Amino acid sequence: MNLNANKRSLAYRGLITLLVLAPLGLMGFKLYVLDYPLKGLIPALSYQVELAMQVDGHGERIAIQTFMPRSDARQTVLQEQQAPGVFVQNQLSEGMNRIASWEASAVTGRQDLRYTVLVQAKKIQYVLPVGMPIPERYPEQLHPYLQAEEGIQVDDELITQRLDTILPRGQERTLGESLTTIHRHLQDDFTNRNFSGYTDALTALKLGEASCNGKGRLFVAMARKLNIPARLVGGFIMSGGSKRTSHQWVEAYVNGHWVPFDTINDHYAEIPSNYLTLYYGDEVLFTHSSNVNFQYHFTTTTKMVPRYEAQQVLGDSIFNLINFYAIFERVGMSQDLLKVLLMIPLGAFVTVVFRNVIGIETFGTFLPALIAAAARETGLLWGLIGFVLIIAVTATIRKGLDWLQLLHSPKMAVILAVVVLVMMTITAGGVHFGLFELAQMTLFPIAILAITAERFAILSEEEGIVKAMQLMFTTAIVIAAAYAVMSSVFMQSLFLAFPELLLVVMALNMWLGRWVGMRLTEYYRFRHLLRSEAQINV
Amino acid sequence: MFSWLNQWRKLRDASGDVLSMNMRNLGYIYPHNARRDFPVANDKLLCKEILAPLGVPLAKTHFSYRYFYELQNLAGDLGSLDEFVIKPSKGSAGNGILVIAGREGEAWIGINGRRYSLSQLKRHISDIVFGVYSFDNKDAAIIEQRVVQHPDINVLFDRGLADVRIIMFQHQLVQTMSRVPTLASDGKANLHQGAVGLGLDPESGRCTHAMLKGVPISHHPDSGAPLLDAVIPFWDEILLHSKRIAEAVALKYLGIDIAISEQGPVLLEINARPGLEIQNVNRRAIRPLLEAIR
Repeated sequence: MNLNANKRSLAYRGLITLLVLAPLGLMGFKLYVLDYPLKGLIPALSYQVELAMQVDGHGERIAIQTFMPRSDARQTVLQEQQAPGVFVQNQLSEGMNRIASWEASAVTGRQDLRYTVLVQAKKIQYVLPVGMPIPERYPEQLHPYLQAEEGIQVDDELITQRLDTILPRGQERTLGESLTTIHRHLQDDFTNRNFSGYTDALTALKLGEASCNGKGRLFVAMARKLNIPARLVGGFIMSGGSKRTSHQWVEAYVNGHWVPFDTINDHYAEIPSNYLTLYYGDEVLFTHSSNVNFQYHFTTTTKMVPRYEAQQVLGDSIFNLINFYAIFERVGMSQDLLKVLLMIPLGAFVTVVFRNVIGIETFGTFLPALIAAAARETGLLWGLIGFVLIIAVTATIRKGLDWLQLLHSPKMAVILAVVVLVMMTITAGGVHFGLFELAQMTLFPIAILAITAERFAILSEEEGIVKAMQLMFTTAIVIAAAYAVMSSVFMQSLFLAFPELLLVVMALNMWLGRWVGMRLTEYYRFRHLLRSEAQINV
Repeated sequence: MFSWLNQWRKLRDASGDVLSMNMRNLGYIYPHNARRDFPVANDKLLCKEILAPLGVPLAKTHFSYRYFYELQNLAGDLGSLDEFVIKPSKGSAGNGILVIAGREGEAWIGINGRRYSLSQLKRHISDIVFGVYSFDNKDAAIIEQRVVQHPDINVLFDRGLADVRIIMFQHQLVQTMSRVPTLASDGKANLHQGAVGLGLDPESGRCTHAMLKGVPISHHPDSGAPLLDAVIPFWDEILLHSKRIAEAVALKYLGIDIAISEQGPVLLEINARPGLEIQNVNRRAIRPLLEAIR
C-alpha cells in the first residue's frame, strides 16, 4: 500500500517534470537550432474591411460587379465572408484581378449585400538603383504596360514637352532618377483635388491639379513615354471608420520589381501597410445596372491576430519533426481552426482553476471552454446572450414536455431538436436585424447545450430556480474568463508557434489534480471553524 | 497591510484542520475507497442484499423494477399497498424519492399532500428506470416499506423523514449529525435545500449545536420545537450497527445514513463521498479526528 503510494508519487513527479521539460526542450530546439523567428510571436495588426452595398430595385434584373483582394507578397487575405441577400454571386479571375459579380432578377425594394474580408498587409519599400540606364527592350509580356490607352495619352506632344522640361534632354535619363523626378513633380507641383470623377492624363497635365486617378494616369503616361513599364493600381486605404472613397496609385517596373508610387500621399517607392490592393489596370471599382441608386461604403476595423507566416516558415523546415501546419493545409483546414483547437484545452484549464482552486460551480467541465470557443465568432457579449437565451428557451419548452409526461430518451431527442431550432431562429433573427455576430450562433455545441438545458430544468425543479440561475450566472463568469484567455492574441501566437505547450497545460492540470489546498470559497464556507481556530476576529 | 497578510497566514494555517473538498477526495476517498467498492454505496438494492444477512435493520423491499416492461403489473403490485416509498436504487441527495402515505379511491396521496394517479406513479418509476435521477442512464426503482418515524423525532418536525449521518473512518466513528427536514427543504433531509443540521455528541446522541443554512439556531423554524439537548433515541443501537456496517463494506471512509422508526433504527443508505457540511453543523473541523485514527 505504502510502496504503491511511493511509486505513484514518483511517477507523478516524473511525469510532470517530463511534461514541462520536453516542451521547453522542443521550444529551445526550435528557437536555437531551427532559428525560429521570435518576432513571429508578436501579433500582427490585421484589418477587417466590410463593404456594404445597397440598391433600390423596381422589379428589374440587377447586376453589380467589383473586385476582391487577393493574397500576394504584400497582403494576405485571411478570411472572407459574404451576406449576399437576394443576390447570387459569381467569381472569376481576369488577368491579375479577382472579379466578383452579384446578380438577381426581379429585384424590388431596397436590397443589401455585404462582403467582409480580414486582411493582413505589410508596408513595402524599395530603394531605387542609382545611375542605372532605362532598358531599351523588355520581355513581351511587359509590352502592354508601355502602350498608350484611353485616358493615358502616352504619345501626346504635351507629355513629351513636359518631360523635356523636368528632365532636360541634354542629360542622361536614368531609370531611378527619372521616376524620382516624375514623382516629385506630380507630388510637389500639382494640387491634390478631392474629386471623385474621371480625369485623364492630359486634363490633369493641363489643369495642374488632379485627384488620385488623374495623377495616376499622368504618372503612367510619363513613365511609359520614357520606356518604363507602368500600370495603375486600384484599392482602398484601410483606416478607421466608415467611408465611401477608393484610391488609386501606380506601379513602375524597375529591375524585375513592380515599385509602387502614390503622388497624392507622397509615398515614394513605397506603400504603407494599410493600403489594400483590389485590382490592377485602368478599371472602375464598381460597375452596376443603371438607375438602381447604388450606394456603398467601406468600414474598417483593426484587430490583432497571430502571425501565420512565421509558423509556415517553421513548418517548411525539414528538421521540424511533426509539421502540423502542412498536415492541416493538406486536408484544407484553416490555421484559424487549428488556433481554436489549441485554445480549447487552455479554456478547460481555466474552468478547472475556477472549480478546484476558486471553488465556483459550473454546468459541466467542458461547457465553458466550448462556449468560449464558439463565442469567438459572435463576440463575448452576444455569445453569452445566445447561451442564456438557448438554455432559457429550451428549459422552458422542456418544462412543457415534462407536463406531457414523455419518456426520458425520446424527450432528450426532442430537446436536442429544440436547441437546433432555437439556434436557427436566433441566427435568422440576427440576420434580419443586421446583428451578424448573432448569426454565427450555429457553431455552438448543440449536444452539450441540450444536456445543459435538461440539467438546468431538473436543477430548477429540485433545488429551485434561484439555485439554477446562480449556477447559470457562475457558468457565465467562467465562460467570460475562459474567453478572455482563449481570445488572448498572445496565447494564440504562443500556442500556434509552440503547440507542445499543450503538454505544459497537461502538467498544470496534473499538478492541480493532486492539489489539496482549500478552495477560496471554502474559506468563506468554513469561516466559523477557521475563526475559532485561528482566534482572529474578522 | 501586514496585519492583513498575517490574518491570511493564520487563516491558511488554521485551514489545515478543516477537511476541504480537494483534501477529502485526494486524502481520504481515493486512497481508502477503491472505485470497485463504490457500488454498495451507489446501489441501494445491492447494499440491502449485502447487509441484510448481518442483521442490519432495513426497510422491507416490496418490489423492485429494472425494466420498463415489468411495470405492466404495477396496478396489481400496488393493489395491496397503502403506504410505501418509491426510490431510485442509484439516486443521490434524496432526489427521485416519492413517499406515499395513503390512498383515496383510485389515487394515492403523497406525504406532501399531492395526489398521484396510477399513470403518474408509473411514469415516475419509468423515469427512475431510465436513469433520470442517477448518474447512470439505467437504474432500478425500489418500492419499499415506509419508515414511520419515531415520536421523539416527530416532535421536532413531522412532515418528512429525518436521518442520522455517521462518518466512519477505518471502522471508527468520526463525527455525527442529524438532519431534520423543514418546509423549505420539502420534507427532504438535505442541508443544502434547507434542512436543519443537528450536531450530535457521539457518546450520547445529544444535540449540541443546531444550524440552519450555516446559521446557529435553537428552535425548529417551522415547528418551533427546541432542538438543543434533544436526544436521538436508540443511540447505542445506531452506534452498534454503524460499526457493523463499516466492518462489512470495503469502503474505509464513509457516511452512513440511518432513520429512526418506532421500532428502532433503519439503514437508509451508505455514502462513499460524504459531504463536508457536518463540520459546520458540529462547529468542529474534522481533520484532527481523522489524523488521530490514521
